[in-house]
Amino acid sequence: MSLIQLNNVGKIYPLGSQQVIALADIDLEIGAGEFTVFAGPSGSGKTTLLNLIGCLDRPTSGSIRIDGRETGGRTAREMADFRLHHIGFIFQSYNLVPVLTAAENAEFTLMLQKIPKAARRRRVEELFAALGLAGLEDRRPNDLSGGQQQRVAIARAMAADPRVILADEPTANLDSQTSEELLRLMRRLNEEQGTTFIFSSHDPQVIHLARRVIRLKDGRLESDHRQSPKTAA
Amino acid sequence: MDLLSLAWKNLWRNRRRTLITLSALGLSLFLLQTFHNLSFGVYAQMVDSGVRAGSGHIALYRGDYAQSRDEELSFAEAGLSAAIAREPGVRAALPRVYLPGLAQSSRESRGILLMGIDPVAEAEVNPFWKNLPEEERITDPEGREALVGSRLLKELKLEIGNKFVVTVQHRDGELTGELLRVRGVLRTGLKEIDGSMVMVGRLRAAAMAGIPGEIHELAVILERAGDQSRLLPKLAMLTEEHPRVRALPWEVAMPNLSDAIRLDYASQKFIFAVILLIVTIGVVNTLLMAVMERIREFGVLLAIGTTPGRLRLMIWHEALLLGLLAMALGTLLGSAATWYLTARGLDLRALMPAGLEFGGVVFDPVLRAAWDVGWMLEMGLYVIGLCLLASIYPAIKAARIPPAEAMRHR
Repeated sequence: MSLIQLNNVGKIYPLGSQQVIALADIDLEIGAGEFTVFAGPSGSGKTTLLNLIGCLDRPTSGSIRIDGRETGGRTAREMADFRLHHIGFIFQSYNLVPVLTAAENAEFTLMLQKIPKAARRRRVEELFAALGLAGLEDRRPNDLSGGQQQRVAIARAMAADPRVILADEPTANLDSQTSEELLRLMRRLNEEQGTTFIFSSHDPQVIHLARRVIRLKDGRLESDHRQSPKTAA
Repeated sequence: MDLLSLAWKNLWRNRRRTLITLSALGLSLFLLQTFHNLSFGVYAQMVDSGVRAGSGHIALYRGDYAQSRDEELSFAEAGLSAAIAREPGVRAALPRVYLPGLAQSSRESRGILLMGIDPVAEAEVNPFWKNLPEEERITDPEGREALVGSRLLKELKLEIGNKFVVTVQHRDGELTGELLRVRGVLRTGLKEIDGSMVMVGRLRAAAMAGIPGEIHELAVILERAGDQSRLLPKLAMLTEEHPRVRALPWEVAMPNLSDAIRLDYASQKFIFAVILLIVTIGVVNTLLMAVMERIREFGVLLAIGTTPGRLRLMIWHEALLLGLLAMALGTLLGSAATWYLTARGLDLRALMPAGLEFGGVVFDPVLRAAWDVGWMLEMGLYVIGLCLLASIYPAIKAARIPPAEAMRHR
């Protein structure tokens, strides 16, 4: 069974007296463990699609099922709870909480899940070791490089062991070498832990590393193909 | 790390702004507590002076003497003063006779109020006696020696040791005169007393009016003003044998003083309310700014699974911490100022060498504060409540923004 199912999904934003069609007639299935990228130019609807899958926004039409569960018709609280337990997010500009240390940022979702402190710390240590962040636990985001901040954001997204991680242009603010390193890291996590990754990007590096590339244009699916990606190693 | 520690860290995100808001809140609380405690002390001092010289904490009158001042409304003392003075919590019971009359010297005559007192009991508690030299005090309740108000003395062109005649109305309707001698001078600072008061022994005054053994007022001075409500019913029981004699609290017996204090405190409360209103606007502005500049971050927190309720709670925690800090700062400063004003006082002698008159009472121009701990705590809690109240709108606003929209916020 597919992990994510979109049936005839559409999203329209009101703009004054006009209506802007951000997405139309999206039918899509994404399986567990996939490493997928939504590719397309700016304004093609990548982020909107990612927001809908991530329950950050509600579709104007159609339905979305994640892990067999309908996401529509939920309250804001239920949506937040669903995101907390099923979805991890990585953002273009890292979006770490500046007043928290790297470790505190990473364990934030575990705190929301009321996991005891000792267990949170163990999980963070494990993730920091896997992501090459060991020793940076007590640094504030401002004291970390862009690449390090994005790794902390990955740790935060992965900490609660979500079914799917959604990454919106995760390499847009990074240099190409750091981007490459991070992408390979995410591929490794995908392969070793089976976490589903869905990106939105127009970065060729990201697109080349993906196993499945879904292209969007003017809010519609343009193409959907699987490819043999570069190896993660 | 939990919500409280996150809120604490958020509070210090913009250190300068938090410190400014904290100072505004803390200083306001400090001003409120200090000025209230000063007023509290001054009012207590005024009440104390007022009741000692006036009707006492509790006054016993026959019928509506308190309002009518009709000298016909006298009642038999019959050992009542001694019985009341024995009650635990009672410091003194002062029997008094009041008679309007006329004083005549060889050169002048003036309308007066003749006050018959128990010199021994009065000397212990009456503040008018404080500045009276030992040799000027009267001691005999039946004697013909009198204390005369300083202005009246001047107007009658009398001196200590001179004789003068006081005429009052006898109970049978006839006028009766008595030759008295000036023993001492009353210098109270109160126009009414200094210009028209003559004090003699109670038994002499009663004899002049033909009401031997009777009094018009029994002023009861308590050890602690707070015991008034406890002792009122007890005194009522003691006066059961005296029909139509009523025990009144000083607020009823001395409405001028009570109203003057109430009016003064009401105007002070108005100023307090204005201060708090200004501070409230400042706090709302600060909290709103602190929230609006973090809308994007709130979007991220919501996205990664923070519920809107938890987000609201986090903002309320920030407001709570701000309020607690302001309460601690304000109370610390307010306590230090109260301690100083209790120990040293605010010396206004240079400004008012003649003493301070308020509500018909003269009191010490060194104003001393008194601790009103309950009120200090109440104001501290009010500041916390104010912070929480000011955070309601920003918190609701922050939690209502859809996360996707919040993350687009720049």
